[in-house]
Amino acid sequence: MTAVLHAEGLGKRHHRRWALRDCTLRVPEQSIIGVTGPNSAGKSTLLGLAVGLLEPDEGTLSAPPIADIGYVAQDVPLYRSFDVGEMLAFARSTNLRWDQQLALELLGSRSLETKVSALMPGERARLALALALGKRPALLLLDEPLASLDRLAGREFLQVAMDGVAQTGAAVVIATRVVTDIERVCERIALLCDGAVKLEGSVEELLARHRLLTGARRPLGRIHGVEEVVRANHSGRQLTLLVRTNGPIVDPTWSVDEIGLEDLLLAYMAPAELPTAQPQRPWRLRWHG
Amino acid sequence: MAWVTWRQHRAQLLTAFAVFVTVAIAAVVSSLPVRDAYHRQALSSCLPPAARPGCDLLVNHFRSEFASLAQVGRWLILLPGLALLVGAPLLAREFEHGTFRLAWTQGLSRRRWLLSKLALLGAALVLVAALIGVVAVWWRQPFDHVEGRMSPAAFDVEGFVVPAYTVFALSIGVLAGIVFRRTLAAISVAAAAFVATRLGVEKLLRPHYLAPLHRIATGTAPSAHARDWVLDDKLVDSVGRRITSAREDLAVVHAQHAGIDAQQYLASLGWRRILTFQPASRFWTFQGIETSIFLALALVAVVAAVVLVRRRPA
Repeated sequence: MTAVLHAEGLGKRHHRRWALRDCTLRVPEQSIIGVTGPNSAGKSTLLGLAVGLLEPDEGTLSAPPIADIGYVAQDVPLYRSFDVGEMLAFARSTNLRWDQQLALELLGSRSLETKVSALMPGERARLALALALGKRPALLLLDEPLASLDRLAGREFLQVAMDGVAQTGAAVVIATRVVTDIERVCERIALLCDGAVKLEGSVEELLARHRLLTGARRPLGRIHGVEEVVRANHSGRQLTLLVRTNGPIVDPTWSVDEIGLEDLLLAYMAPAELPTAQPQRPWRLRWHG
Repeated sequence: MAWVTWRQHRAQLLTAFAVFVTVAIAAVVSSLPVRDAYHRQALSSCLPPAARPGCDLLVNHFRSEFASLAQVGRWLILLPGLALLVGAPLLAREFEHGTFRLAWTQGLSRRRWLLSKLALLGAALVLVAALIGVVAVWWRQPFDHVEGRMSPAAFDVEGFVVPAYTVFALSIGVLAGIVFRRTLAAISVAAAAFVATRLGVEKLLRPHYLAPLHRIATGTAPSAHARDWVLDDKLVDSVGRRITSAREDLAVVHAQHAGIDAQQYLASLGWRRILTFQPASRFWTFQGIETSIFLALALVAVVAAVVLVRRRPA
């Protein structure tokens, strides 16, 4: 399948630090991919590069022209003094292709006379989504779309988004810190850490290829069926290993368990430590996060 | 884009129009007594080339009666500068509110987005500036008949330069907006730059657009140059050295004591008065040159803003 978005060795410096480094990612047509990772992993930077707000410092990026990308930026920037109808008129007059019918449909029953500043977070997000999908884009980029929404509003947002995506056939990239938010809708997951893609694949594939091994503490030798030990953890006389497999593990001295997606991603984010709960930061992500 | 530009800037454009209406009303009201006096005293028959006895007195009386009003009219020079209040927020506000991420990710290129907005706002402001300029020309008519329109008091508020200053203020505001990304900072810096440029051009360049003329006159200043822009008026001795006003005063006092006519006395010393001036006939040439300068500066600012908008990472 041809890729809508294709980044190859992409790098972007932010001041002295590399916000994104050696990032390689393919987004095939009509696929839905979740890009996750800790704060300042480069998720927003990747989306900013894709939409052309940022210029890459190294690597190559092939993306559709801006007219074919629907982008919902972090914190959902909208003109606060406009009303909903005026926001639609704004998108209509700044886009060559505009599907008012679809935008209205995605907006739902919201009155067009409501001021943007008076909208609830969920309604704001929905309006931004309607603006982005009204372009009938080939690629939809959502940057932390659920950050300001409660669980119900978030669920509703994803529902509407997937409806719209089904109608437009757009490929979707969702950047989020909280993978459980988007697990249900994403076909593929890419884990971004320190600006590079550490793990990428479909959810089933990722889960199928990783196992949690528990057994008595011992010096680590080769284990048949294990390609790589991602993380090892000692507690007392017990040893727990997270491993990437390349075949069935038959060694009876290990008890083999499946691992959940969130724990798997956490393990990759912080390989030296336990998969403890990720600290939730209450403050807003910086734009270059 | 026309709708978007109008929606985002309608408050500013309506304010600009309100400023024009206010200026027009104030001009009509304040001009009535001036015109009345001008016609009552039949001043037009007093001005060069025509002249009748007692004219100097009449003209001087007219000038002193309305001197303070003419001074108030000088404030019109500030109006073109207000265009930077439209220009500075154009980009700075988008940065402040983060909405550039919305505006620049629609279907239009950033360059097209900026140029469409600038063209539309520029056209609207040029129209308002031209209207204010016309009002100013009408309002200054009686003064211009007496004093000419070459000196800055009239030159700065009449003719093509008014729209040119306005376009310059707008574009320098836009440039400051993308450089500083904060409305307040952009307005402050753009205002400083505008004032500095205007003063610099007026004081340093304008006197030399064309080589000034010199005229040697014996005795005290002649009134024949009332309509010209007199740049320098100096007394020199027979070998061309400048005479300080203190020495001139001394000489005049000396002549008065001796009971001789001061002018004749100065002439007898071989002292001559040299006037350096730009003649009133050069008005449109100078307007053309000054307009070109400001339009060129505006173009530079617009090009710089477009380059920054396209290149500068957001």
